Amino acid sequence: MAKRELQEINAGSMADIAFLLLIFFLVTTTMDKDTAFIRSIPKKVIVKDPVPVEERNILSIKANNQNQLMVRGEIFSDPNKISEFILKFYRTNERDNDPSNNFPMYSTATMSMIDAQLNKFDQQIEDAEKIGASKEMIEFFESSLKEWEKKKASLKLLGGGELREINGQAHVRIEVQQATEYSIFAKIQTEAEEALYELRNDRSMQLWGIPYSVLKRKVAQEKDKAMDEKAKLDLLEILYPTKIVEVTPKK
Amino acid sequence: MSKFKKDSSRAMPGVNTSSLPDIVFMLLFFFMVATTSKEVDPTVNVDSPEGSRATDLTPYKQRSEVDFLYLGKPRNPARAAEFKMGFALSLDNVVQPTADGLYNTNAVGQWKKDKFDQKPARMTAPLESVITCVKADKSAPSGLIFDIRKELQEINALTIAYAVRDNGLI
Repeated sequence: MAKRELQEINAGSMADIAFLLLIFFLVTTTMDKDTAFIRSIPKKVIVKDPVPVEERNILSIKANNQNQLMVRGEIFSDPNKISEFILKFYRTNERDNDPSNNFPMYSTATMSMIDAQLNKFDQQIEDAEKIGASKEMIEFFESSLKEWEKKKASLKLLGGGELREINGQAHVRIEVQQATEYSIFAKIQTEAEEALYELRNDRSMQLWGIPYSVLKRKVAQEKDKAMDEKAKLDLLEILYPTKIVEVTPKK
Repeated sequence: MSKFKKDSSRAMPGVNTSSLPDIVFMLLFFFMVATTSKEVDPTVNVDSPEGSRATDLTPYKQRSEVDFLYLGKPRNPARAAEFKMGFALSLDNVVQPTADGLYNTNAVGQWKKDKFDQKPARMTAPLESVITCVKADKSAPSGLIFDIRKELQEINALTIAYAVRDNGLI
């Protein structure tokens, strides 16, 4: 049989095919990322008589229908300064409590105190199960228990000693009205996020020399695999909790 | 005279284009890696406000743990007249009809539940933690956002996200 040379495939149209694919991807994709502020909505519960909150624990930021801002009863002309005010709210009593000012108090927890709380809730869950308490009741105890367990892990990460915690009631309260523009609402959220970032980042740099954003990205991407980072994030979130209350505007 | 006499009889040699596909493929791969696919092309115009330190939703998108809803001015100007406040809510490209000429957020709950049921099996997050991202226009009234928030609270979908355009300021 005569040897016939293999004919090469004509690859001239390869470029056309590749261009077609390229243009398809150019059209269907976007460069910009979706970014947003993630917030949790409180569960719907009916409270008969709500627990009063001390005035010092509330940082209320209000915006009216004309998009004017008011922080703690004072008119604010520069929205960029809100984050500074939030920092002040968190930091004033961080080292030493001074009851004379109008900012939230800090409490100090030690390992033995946390252990005592853990035992207490263990006991309460047992008792509640014995007497057949309601499901909500047991759920409440269990979530409290989990919280204290987190605190214990955090204190361990800090190397024992003391855990300085802001009052559990301390929160930033965003009050807008029906016609307040979304951009103002987003601006207040930005400022709150900015302040929390600074608090957490400073602490993170001081403790481990890692920027907070790096920790956060790692946990978001690897989820359960980044255990060390997760523990560190938990600690930072216990020290500076994101407590933002969004008040539903009246009709 | 001239030493370099033009030889007009010789034809121009063709440029070798055999590496053109390689170049184009390289470009293609770059765009495939560097971009993310667009969410639905909304029927309403949304110009997000700027913000900083917002969370990047890309990892959540990859795990399909986020649903988007749009709040903005309808693209079709004839439609816009139907909405007295000028803003309409778009769920999966369907502008929500409205009876009273205001706006309608009643469909949010059902929409979210349906979305949750259609999630791929690999998604294990409970309804509570599946993010609902509200992409609202700069000038949208906050009251509308709180109405959506209330609908979500009713069905126990307790994670909301307020979309902003990250201005990248550090």
